[in-house]
Amino acid sequence: MNEEIDEYDIYHQDFTTVSEWEVFIARIEEILGEWRLAKSSIPKSAVEYTKKWITKTEEILFLGQKYTLSYHTLDFSRSSDDSEGSEEKPLMTHIHNGLWEATSSFMDDDDGSQFPVSNWFGLKRFLVLYPSFPLVDGSLIKLVMSSANIAFANVDCGVPFFVKIREHWQHTYLGFYEDNQYKISFDTIHLKRISNQCSHLSGLVSLFKSKIASPVALDAVVVSTKFSYELKDFEAFTWKKTTHSNEFLSIDGFDVKKLIELPFGSEKNPTSSVLLNAIWPKFRECTIVESSTFSDIDPLMAPTWTITLKMREKINCQLSDIIQKMMNLLEDNNLLMDTLGLSRSLGLVNPLHKITEAPITISKLVKAAIGQGRNTSEFKGPIADDLLMPLLYYIFPDAVEDDTFNYTEQLEVEFKQDSSEHKLCSYVKTSPEDGLVWRLSVTAARLYDAGGLAYLAHLWYEFAQELQYRWERRILVPGVAAGIPNARTCLLHQKLQLLNCCIKRALEGSSSFAGNSSEDEFFDCTDDEDGEEQPLWDRPAGRLNRLGEAMLKNGAPLFVPRTQDPAPKTEDQLEEDAELMVRLGDDAKASELRARMMSASLLSDMEAFKAANPGAELCDFVQWYSPRDWKPEGGGSLGDRMLLPGNPWVEAWSVARPVPASRQRRLFDETREAEQVLHFLRSRTVSGAAELLLPAILKAGAIKAIEEGVTSGTNSVGGVDQRRTYEIAARDLYEAEKEACRALCMRTVLGSSVEGKPLDSSGRARVLHATGGSLPAPVRKEFTLRVKDAVAPQVMRAALAADMTIVGAFTERIVCL
Amino acid sequence: MDCVAKLKILLLGESGVGKSSIILAFTKGDYQAQFPATIGVDYNCKVVDVNGVKVKLGIWDTAGQERYRTLTSSFYRDAHGAILVYDVSEPKTLAKLNEWVEELQVYTTNKNIVCLVVGNKIDKPRAVTREQGQAFAQKHRMLFIESSAKTQEGINLAFEELTQKVIYLYMHLCCYIELNSLFV
Repeated sequence: MNEEIDEYDIYHQDFTTVSEWEVFIARIEEILGEWRLAKSSIPKSAVEYTKKWITKTEEILFLGQKYTLSYHTLDFSRSSDDSEGSEEKPLMTHIHNGLWEATSSFMDDDDGSQFPVSNWFGLKRFLVLYPSFPLVDGSLIKLVMSSANIAFANVDCGVPFFVKIREHWQHTYLGFYEDNQYKISFDTIHLKRISNQCSHLSGLVSLFKSKIASPVALDAVVVSTKFSYELKDFEAFTWKKTTHSNEFLSIDGFDVKKLIELPFGSEKNPTSSVLLNAIWPKFRECTIVESSTFSDIDPLMAPTWTITLKMREKINCQLSDIIQKMMNLLEDNNLLMDTLGLSRSLGLVNPLHKITEAPITISKLVKAAIGQGRNTSEFKGPIADDLLMPLLYYIFPDAVEDDTFNYTEQLEVEFKQDSSEHKLCSYVKTSPEDGLVWRLSVTAARLYDAGGLAYLAHLWYEFAQELQYRWERRILVPGVAAGIPNARTCLLHQKLQLLNCCIKRALEGSSSFAGNSSEDEFFDCTDDEDGEEQPLWDRPAGRLNRLGEAMLKNGAPLFVPRTQDPAPKTEDQLEEDAELMVRLGDDAKASELRARMMSASLLSDMEAFKAANPGAELCDFVQWYSPRDWKPEGGGSLGDRMLLPGNPWVEAWSVARPVPASRQRRLFDETREAEQVLHFLRSRTVSGAAELLLPAILKAGAIKAIEEGVTSGTNSVGGVDQRRTYEIAARDLYEAEKEACRALCMRTVLGSSVEGKPLDSSGRARVLHATGGSLPAPVRKEFTLRVKDAVAPQVMRAALAADMTIVGAFTERIVCL
Repeated sequence: MDCVAKLKILLLGESGVGKSSIILAFTKGDYQAQFPATIGVDYNCKVVDVNGVKVKLGIWDTAGQERYRTLTSSFYRDAHGAILVYDVSEPKTLAKLNEWVEELQVYTTNKNIVCLVVGNKIDKPRAVTREQGQAFAQKHRMLFIESSAKTQEGINLAFEELTQKVIYLYMHLCCYIELNSLFV
């Protein structure tokens, strides 16, 4: 394919006969070209590398098999100022420097790269060609290697090229890099058993010397060694079990406290091994002797000891398990009450049908609370009464005299404006800590974990029944922040706030009906005396207070009327309102329609004003309502924009009748709203209920994690929608929980020392004590042998455990004659 | 219309400072000397081009009257940006913006809301210096611009600046996930 073409020929060529091998090489070249990996395109001056690997991959088919070519490079920040100053060195020098530096670390260190070659050889960038199958056939290996060689040479590649051979788990790589002076071969040998010759230092040194092409001075080889000892009985050493059981279900003297706390941490020991590493960082080959018959190496004499803790890949974290179970419910779109077979009796079969009747049954709790005893004919859920009652008393502590679980008086909702602090799961909408929503959600999660969906449904049913009862009896729901629904809290909390608004309104309404006549709403003051002389129909009504010294145009004092507050709404309702307004479009007509939609409260205020200020004109109303549209001239007149013909203010004023707020149609219909809240809760699907419960579970989980010592937040800020946000939060919590488990083990093992850092003498004593004073045979030995000969650094490393890996990077001069 | 992102923008400020006029000038390029006072909340939208990306701005106009605060604040939810308008011919309207800033802090659910302070009506005799407006914006860490809905001056720039800043913020401060949340 790379056939020479005579320059004078017209460009034409027959590619029909190229072999598959040629296509393979051409494809590799093409990819290397695309990725711009020629020596000329790679920066040659010193750059600052970060620890983040960037990877590119392409797939290639060759002889019916799939190969993947991947390029790995450490991300670097190149400051433009420095690039001119620092001198450019050949890429080979950079590779040699990296190789030399890498000898101070060990082969089992993790540099975050997908392949170990970067760590073995200190590479900042490398290419790997790996087949999808084990490449064991010798002639095929040669064919692939030579293809790589040809492609590398053709594009004058500036990145070491590796081919992965043999079984994947063996991590065997053959690599090379060359420029016009030198060639480095990167070799790997993996044996399933340790060969006798290589099982000790002396053997390795002679192997190393034989591999180096140029002669080396005697005793020039520098060695570093790491012997690792697996600590026995580390189970007792590393792990203090903190299990959390579901035994509350069977125990007679049931303890709410056991149930209401979220479990945290791993139930089983999360460590897979604890290694003590005895390290000799640097010595000349002859100072320590280790041969097949004799060994100088005594771990107790090693200059450095470190501890490596290996965690299991998958740790079962108790908190995350519970959360995951709840998350799984998000897939279930059946009505939650179907689980109990109650949908029909609750009127939920037709989702459009709103409940207007009281439910057939009344909460057991209620009965108990008001001392009516138990009625056996009512619905019997799966949770036994002696478990259910304490739970309900925990969620609704005001129903019993006992005040063990009372809510705190002030329920604060924290909301941090400052986004610099990333607290765990701060993007999940909250509700007051340890408020009703928290208790309900955590209890629900624990019950679901222990008893399945039926338990969850039963709790939900009792919860809704209790709310129904409270609405009917006008008893406020405890453990909910005061005021109108706060859009910063989770939806369930908002719904309960709205229900409380309804209950409060109903209480106010009934009390005014009971005792006070509407006359009491008159504002009594001396100015009012002359009002007595007015005819009854024109008597002022619903006055709140005087507006400073302000006067009506007719000379009478201006009174601010009592007004109706806008209807409190939860975020889903507001969302609906906003959507409706958006759907109207954005032309003038739509704008008018919106103004009409919005005028309900304007009209109500105007009517109240007229009632409080008989004989008032629009300009008087404007003086109170929109003072910037009022001019004091001539006792008061309207600003220009209020005089526009057809303006909605004038229209509304003309239809407003003098009616005090107390006699107006309610802007907020508490009965309808309360029933909608109750219906909303009862008619949730399983996934809908889980969606309502999850925010508080996640938040409670995050608090639990912080209590357990998790300090790191994440940079996550939530997701596109609620569900995605939950997923992100669950993931963050899992990571936090895993980290906490690890940190806990780490603390137990290391005390005040840091993992990977040398232990101090007390740390060494502690570890030695834990092992009973002597160390077992090493489970792994690692040697790094290095020398700088006349050509370049030569390095060989060996890791001997149950199997054996020897890697080497040997540079030779390319002799050109 | 093919829009890549959707932003919710609020206009806040005293009554009569020209919020509705600014929106009219921006969305229709039009001006009316007199404009009926907004009742409650109104909605407008416009698609703008930010660095070659189409962004749909849903602009929520609010009534400035005290009485409407409860009603209007319920629409602050999840807004990406807020434009705080004052009238350069009336110093009181700038002083009053403090209340709106507080209002925003209380009712917004988006911690990363971007705010722009607009000194409107620069076609009129000025009673508030540019420096005073700047000082206010600086104090609250907001963008600042002066405009005239009448002459169109600064109007497009105001919305452009705000939109770019929101998109920039979501790209740089936050991770990609929240950026995704802007996208349709």
